[in-house]
Amino acid sequence: MIELDTLSVTFAAGSALRDISLKIAPGDRLGIVGESGSGKSLLASCLMGMAPDAATLSGTLTIDGVDMSDADEETWRPLRARRVAMIFQEPMSALNPLRRVGDTVAEPLRLHFGLSRDEAAKRVAELFAEVDLPNPERRARMFPHELSGGQRQRVLIALALACDPALLIADEPTTALDANVALQVTDLLVDLSEKRGMALVLISHDLASVARSTERVAVMYGGDIVERGGTDDVLHAPQHPYTQGLLAARPDPQAALRDEQGKRKRLPTIPGNVPPLSGLAQGCRFAGRCALERPDCATARPVPHGPRMLLCPVVEGAA
Amino acid sequence: MTRLPANFLLGAVLVSLMVGLAALSLVWTPHDPTALDIRNKFADPSMTNWLGTDKLGRDVVSQLMLGARNSMTVALVAVLMGGSIGVVLGLLAAGIGGWVEDLVMRLADLSFAFPALLFAIMLAAVFGPSLSNAVFAIAFINIPIFARVTRASANQIWTRDYVMAARAAGMGTFAISRDHILPNIAAAIIVQATIEFAVAILAEAALSYLGLGAQPPAASWGRMLSEAQTLMYLAPELAIYPGLCIVAAVLGFGLLGDGLRDITDPRLVRER
Repeated sequence: MIELDTLSVTFAAGSALRDISLKIAPGDRLGIVGESGSGKSLLASCLMGMAPDAATLSGTLTIDGVDMSDADEETWRPLRARRVAMIFQEPMSALNPLRRVGDTVAEPLRLHFGLSRDEAAKRVAELFAEVDLPNPERRARMFPHELSGGQRQRVLIALALACDPALLIADEPTTALDANVALQVTDLLVDLSEKRGMALVLISHDLASVARSTERVAVMYGGDIVERGGTDDVLHAPQHPYTQGLLAARPDPQAALRDEQGKRKRLPTIPGNVPPLSGLAQGCRFAGRCALERPDCATARPVPHGPRMLLCPVVEGAA
Repeated sequence: MTRLPANFLLGAVLVSLMVGLAALSLVWTPHDPTALDIRNKFADPSMTNWLGTDKLGRDVVSQLMLGARNSMTVALVAVLMGGSIGVVLGLLAAGIGGWVEDLVMRLADLSFAFPALLFAIMLAAVFGPSLSNAVFAIAFINIPIFARVTRASANQIWTRDYVMAARAAGMGTFAISRDHILPNIAAAIIVQATIEFAVAILAEAALSYLGLGAQPPAASWGRMLSEAQTLMYLAPELAIYPGLCIVAAVLGFGLLGDGLRDITDPRLVRER
């Protein structure tokens, strides 16, 4: 349904996505994980045809068999909301503070399906009920500031679902929410994806919610997909050094806080920071922070290999 | 409830006074403002002529009231006309960007190179002196002012997440500008309109004073001022009355605009 073939995005400062190839079939649930700055959100905006003006794209992006790599705004517009829809990280700022949330959700319905005001309002109430908003008719007449964070995110999900998209991209949908509300929202996304047969791309740095809700996962670092595979396989037996570091850096609530000497244990971290675009290595992006680094890693571009398309020449890829 | 700023309150009082006078003149004036009574010229203030009469025996209060109506009408029409064109141009510039934005903004720069009043005089000279030409001239000089304010505020709103969300929902530039941008920049536009209202009143008075605006016998503060000018030694009060009215109206709208800005822009209030 959606296919990316060696999609690359370059800015003046450097390349932000390198040769991303991905296939998303109807009903797929794909998680994309990685640190801030790894290119996750940029990838999402490419899938919506909303990459920043300053970006140069190469490679191909096909939606329903149509090549959209060079499509302009007018070609993209009818696909948005109807084929691909998106929900955003920050539910407060993603809603116009001066509009009733019902009107915001009615907008794409009226635009794409030409519904009348009343028909749209009826459909909005149905959508609000579908995303488990209590008292849908009343909620529709409220302004964003009258809703809680979780309710706002549900409104945004309803907005994204309005035109029955084939793919829903959720860009860190739970980052701004409390842990238990975040779980509810993630579960809601999975439910909706199953009921509607809608594909879901969940972008997150919350490994727990990715593990809970997706079948496949792609790990991104520095604009590369460094490892991919079944979510359980990758998260339980990570192969790429970066994935291993990412998983090791996860706090374990069951683990003892202090070691035998009574000293507070420190969480393992990946040394260093994600370098800025201009400072990324020509070869493996992870060079400089990697424990398994070889002298030629920083210069030789790694080739994806093995069933996990592993982007590391040092590690032997296994199933 | 926080206290309203003093400039807003004073402005509101002056503005309601002027608007009240103008509105009242629609239904009632003490005398017919154009009725001549030569025998009664330069009359002192009295129970019948509260502020006396002018060189042709016309009642000053009635003329001032009509002048208020004239000023308000000119300012309203000119600001509405110039403002709406300017807002549309500003929204287009911000929404489409690229060469459209460059073109609109460079044209605005160009028009700022001409002193506004001089430009109005030129228009009046070309198309002949009349009140409607004065209105067009004042409207025209308002276009770039509103285009700039609108574009600057709209560009800020275009970066908001909810605009991204609207784009992701498939809305086009036009629909986003109408439904999301315009309501969120309305406050800035209203503030600007109030201030430009004051400028327009002053411009109308200046044009009428120069004989390029309201033509006799229509009453206008600017024209009253120019008629009184030659009689400054004989009857200085005839120049003072319309002068005070112009000051009160301009000051009133200016203060009201500043006050509105203080109320709608929380950043400014905190700094004080």
